[in-house]
Amino acid sequence: MDKIKLIIDGKEIIADKGTTILSAAKDNGIEIPTLCHSDRVALYGACGLCTVEAEGIPKLLRACSAKASDGMVIHTDSERVKKSRKIALELLMSDHTGDCVGPCSLNCPAGTDCQGYVKLISQGNFHEAVALIKEKLPLPASIGRVCPHPCENACRRQMVEDSISIAYLKAFAADEDMKENTFVPEVAPDSGKKVAVIGGGPAGLTVSYFLRTKGHSVTIFDAMPYMGGMLRYGIPEYRLPKKIVEAEVQQIANLGVEMKNNVKIGKDISFETLRKEYDAVVVAIGAWSSLSMRCEGENLNGVVGGIDFLREVNEGKRPDIGNRVAIVGGGNTAMDACRTARRLGAEEVYVIYRRTRDEMPAEKIEIDEAEEEGVTFKFLTNPAEFIGEDGKVTSVKLQVMELGEPDSSGRRSPVPVEGKFETLPIDTAIMAIGQKVNTSGFEEIELNKKGIISANERTFRTSLEGVFAIGDATNRGASIAIEAIGEAEKASKVIDAYLFGMDIPYRKPFVSEKEVTPEMLKDKEKASRAEMPVMSAEKRVKTFDEIALGFTKEQAIAEASRCLECGCHDYHDCKLIKYANWYDIKPERFAGMKNIFPKETKLVSIERDQSKCILCGLCVRICDEVAKKGILGLVGRGFTTTIKPEFDNDDVISFCKDCHKCADACPTGALKIIEK
Amino acid sequence: MRIVVGKGSCGFAAGAGRVYSALENLIDDKSVLSITGCIGMCFLEPIVDIYEGEKLLRRLVKVTENDAENIIIAVKNNDFSLVDNLTISEKDEEFLTKQTRIALRHCGIINPESIDDYTNDNGYKALRKVLTSMSPEDVIEEIKISGLAGRGGAGFPTWFKWNAARNSKGDEKYLICNADEGDPGAFMDRAVIESDPHTLIEGMLIGAYAIGAKEAVVYVRAEYPLAIIRLEKAIKDAEEKGFIGKNILGSAFSCSFRIKAGAGAFVCGEETALIESLEGSRGMPRLKPPFPAEAGYWHKPSNINNVETFANVSWIILNGGKKFSAMGTEDSKGTKVFALTGKIRRGGLVEIPMGKTLRDVIFDIGGGIKNDAKFKAVQMGGPSGGCIPEELLDTVIDYKKLSATGAIMGSGGMVVMSDSTCMVNMAKFFLDFTTKESCGKCVHCRIGTKRMLEILTRITEGKGKDGDIELLEELCLGIKDGALCGLGQTAPNPVLTTLKYFKDEYVSHINEKKCLAKECASLLTYSINPEKCVGCSLCSKKCPTQAISGEIKKTFSIDTEKCIKCGQCKAACRFGAVNVD
Repeated sequence: MDKIKLIIDGKEIIADKGTTILSAAKDNGIEIPTLCHSDRVALYGACGLCTVEAEGIPKLLRACSAKASDGMVIHTDSERVKKSRKIALELLMSDHTGDCVGPCSLNCPAGTDCQGYVKLISQGNFHEAVALIKEKLPLPASIGRVCPHPCENACRRQMVEDSISIAYLKAFAADEDMKENTFVPEVAPDSGKKVAVIGGGPAGLTVSYFLRTKGHSVTIFDAMPYMGGMLRYGIPEYRLPKKIVEAEVQQIANLGVEMKNNVKIGKDISFETLRKEYDAVVVAIGAWSSLSMRCEGENLNGVVGGIDFLREVNEGKRPDIGNRVAIVGGGNTAMDACRTARRLGAEEVYVIYRRTRDEMPAEKIEIDEAEEEGVTFKFLTNPAEFIGEDGKVTSVKLQVMELGEPDSSGRRSPVPVEGKFETLPIDTAIMAIGQKVNTSGFEEIELNKKGIISANERTFRTSLEGVFAIGDATNRGASIAIEAIGEAEKASKVIDAYLFGMDIPYRKPFVSEKEVTPEMLKDKEKASRAEMPVMSAEKRVKTFDEIALGFTKEQAIAEASRCLECGCHDYHDCKLIKYANWYDIKPERFAGMKNIFPKETKLVSIERDQSKCILCGLCVRICDEVAKKGILGLVGRGFTTTIKPEFDNDDVISFCKDCHKCADACPTGALKIIEK
Repeated sequence: MRIVVGKGSCGFAAGAGRVYSALENLIDDKSVLSITGCIGMCFLEPIVDIYEGEKLLRRLVKVTENDAENIIIAVKNNDFSLVDNLTISEKDEEFLTKQTRIALRHCGIINPESIDDYTNDNGYKALRKVLTSMSPEDVIEEIKISGLAGRGGAGFPTWFKWNAARNSKGDEKYLICNADEGDPGAFMDRAVIESDPHTLIEGMLIGAYAIGAKEAVVYVRAEYPLAIIRLEKAIKDAEEKGFIGKNILGSAFSCSFRIKAGAGAFVCGEETALIESLEGSRGMPRLKPPFPAEAGYWHKPSNINNVETFANVSWIILNGGKKFSAMGTEDSKGTKVFALTGKIRRGGLVEIPMGKTLRDVIFDIGGGIKNDAKFKAVQMGGPSGGCIPEELLDTVIDYKKLSATGAIMGSGGMVVMSDSTCMVNMAKFFLDFTTKESCGKCVHCRIGTKRMLEILTRITEGKGKDGDIELLEELCLGIKDGALCGLGQTAPNPVLTTLKYFKDEYVSHINEKKCLAKECASLLTYSINPEKCVGCSLCSKKCPTQAISGEIKKTFSIDTEKCIKCGQCKAACRFGAVNVD
């Protein structure tokens, strides 16, 4: 066959005469996007994505049909081409209705594939579930127990009755996995690069896990005697047993991550030394100091910080807190502190909170369980002064509050009721009103206005070359563990690229989302949420043993089976979303009418969701030209064009031989093969 | 003497059918009465011509059935004073006398249903000449000399297409006539088929001979029933006379003819969509290349030309290509037919040599704007074309010069607009058309034009946003670059040209929520001027929503909450008391 020579993207290419630009490019490793082209059917040219620019030709060419010719100079990635593809994708997306991923995953700061692992759990595939979780989160047994689960808060099953118990399912799968055949990730061959991670909490452990699996040599330096950070020293044993944290830390150590405890930067080793000796340094030191209230008497003995108190207990100490303990604050740390105080034997434990129960940031279950354990809530009060004798606190003067106008957080802000006070006699006051970062030893790094390490939110870089920072110690300060883990996982990719001299900032992937109303789910059969069995309140207050007793396999499988599977089955193979992410699209610019259809489910073994259809015509053409059935056709004109007949049409059933060729050809998730 | 009634679609619409019947009922010698097609002066229909032999004695216009008796008396007595009031004015006669008619040379003169009328006027002589003395190559050469270019809009040299089809390998070739005239306001092709079907047939036969086709197909929209009936009869008559069929005029050339009635999809005017439709598939454009000359109908070499293109062919063969190319400009040869519509005083079909200006057509022939209103712009080329503003009225009619304005020559639709036309609303009208006529195949056209229409709609409703103009511009360029076929690629033109020449109107809709032409109802407020209102209550009686109230002989007022801005009050008021802001 005659050969021709042409240049594609600066690369000289020899191709057969008569070949298209698309296949000449493909044969030489250059992927030109297309949604409607298939070698199995005749040329079509609908999607307009494969456009390329040829020097000397004013019009853009469709690479699927334009023949490559001798001497052609083709650009597949010029600004004009990119703009053209981008607008095509934006237009397509503006009329594409579907959820790429479920709201659970979208709301998870670490982007864990909740729907995916819940599905695997529902099938009893616990190891596979853990493998999937660990693509984003290497501490599932720990996090599954303590996470305030933004995933569940977003779960659409709430519109039916209750969210899926995603967090506990995750812990369940991880516990099962740890019993035997524990999942071990593949570790890439040694890269020869060395990374120092300062801080062995959720962020530090996570970044170490992912950097290690990428083949880098990683050492964690931690000031405390054991790894785990706040998971170990902030969260009480009854919620997260130390042995669980230890086991997960051990799994990471087993990958070859070196762990050095009792090392304080600036004291035992200088930050400068680390920077010199390692190719990259990751600062993940957390926020380990309690915030003060700046109220009188705060320095009295017996007034302690919430996380300081919890750390002491978690270190195995049993501080003498007396019989009457007041905890100030309404968050999860306050709940951990009050419940720990009860377990230490305090009979009268009060939570002093300046708003009401409805405004409490703590998990509802934590509040309920604290109440069951005999904690008294003093809402709408705020410490005005700690009063002491001989330098030790004896009572607290409380300012009575009322709720005023909503503040910036949307919660009604508390205002003092003038002149109204009460006094509460106490032995210990625990201030659980927030955490701050202790940056001593890291003076060279630029801090933000709040005195927190400033790190770029997409590159995780600090002001110092080669120094990255993640987790509670950065930007907005302390948050939940999964937030720090999410940052760590993203940072690991950026750092990996950095170690090879590349700068690839994190970019939030574009996904398609759809509005769902309870009305749309009204036909779903109700199935109540599996409640986690817990130890009785009487027993609980006498021990630090874990109060959650765990799901049985049957419970876990049944619970996981409640999942509505909101996310698209085709997300990982969908060409539309793949290309959408190549071009940083913004379809909301073209927001307008959308073609929305009900799902068609009756036919043979294919479910069709035309709301996701992009009218590439592949199903129609494959059915006609390959399957030789010709059942499908395009009907209507312009924007209202659809594919008919409906898949739940009886006539289709009599003709279709259920060959699935249409579904296999579909570039999006519009056609789904279902098991009958 | 002969009485000839203009029975084209335009004549019928104005009442020519009733006029003809009235004459037929009253006349004793039926042979005196005959018909012709479209005379071209649609604004004067129904038209009745009175001939003595070939000489036109009187042209009677705006005739009604009540005039039939007087006409017959006048003809009988050879005294036309009775119908003086119906006789065309000298000024109106200029509409025809200022034209140069080639494609329309028989229109309004011969009886379209009589093959003898056609042959008596040199009909089929060109075919005879071609078959007896010219090789296909000679024919193509003659067409090349003439400079004839595709009159459907693209303006591609006809000889080049014929030559490509001739040179394509294969024994089976097709000649197709695109008579799927779909531009709003365009009716040139309909007029040719209804008025002179044999000219089309003859032109096609010559084309078929030139490219080596044995089958000719006319793809005509089903919305042209009269054209189809007359074409069917013409084909039958031509077959009987041996102009169509085997060994035409005793030559080795054979060609069959058929009509395919299209179901009325605008996109089927796009040649590859037309072919799909001919083959019985959904009318959706194919990718080009391959071009139809290589792989067209049934993937065989095919040539497609528009009606007007073929209508020029026999004239060129008889008169020589040189005579044709003597008319026009450097770039564009011969004549062009335009359908003049809109707010024009004299609307109808105009054929003039290329090189005349738009002002010649609109003011000299068309007589300017109705009711002496101010000219604003002319939309050329329908939904694929663009508007040309007043300052460019001296642009000469020439493919390149017209394209330079952002509009196109197009197939010949000329919609004239006055200052009461809102240009944003006009662009919206055409986009509405395009979205409805998009076949839905390619993304840019299917979704892009829809989004453009949505943006235009919100602008005309006073909901336009900052950045909408930029978004429109981006969409326009994106669609031009990305759409699969001509329909999509040209769909943004009405928006692009209105943005180019009338951006201020977009800006005032968006920023000030004002429609300068006072056409966009959502942006108008109706009120009654107390100084002019005499309290006659007519407006209140006309108001369909009872939004106007008042006491007789006192000032009336409009409840703006109830007002639906239909404008009936303004139209009804005899004192100019209704204000629109």
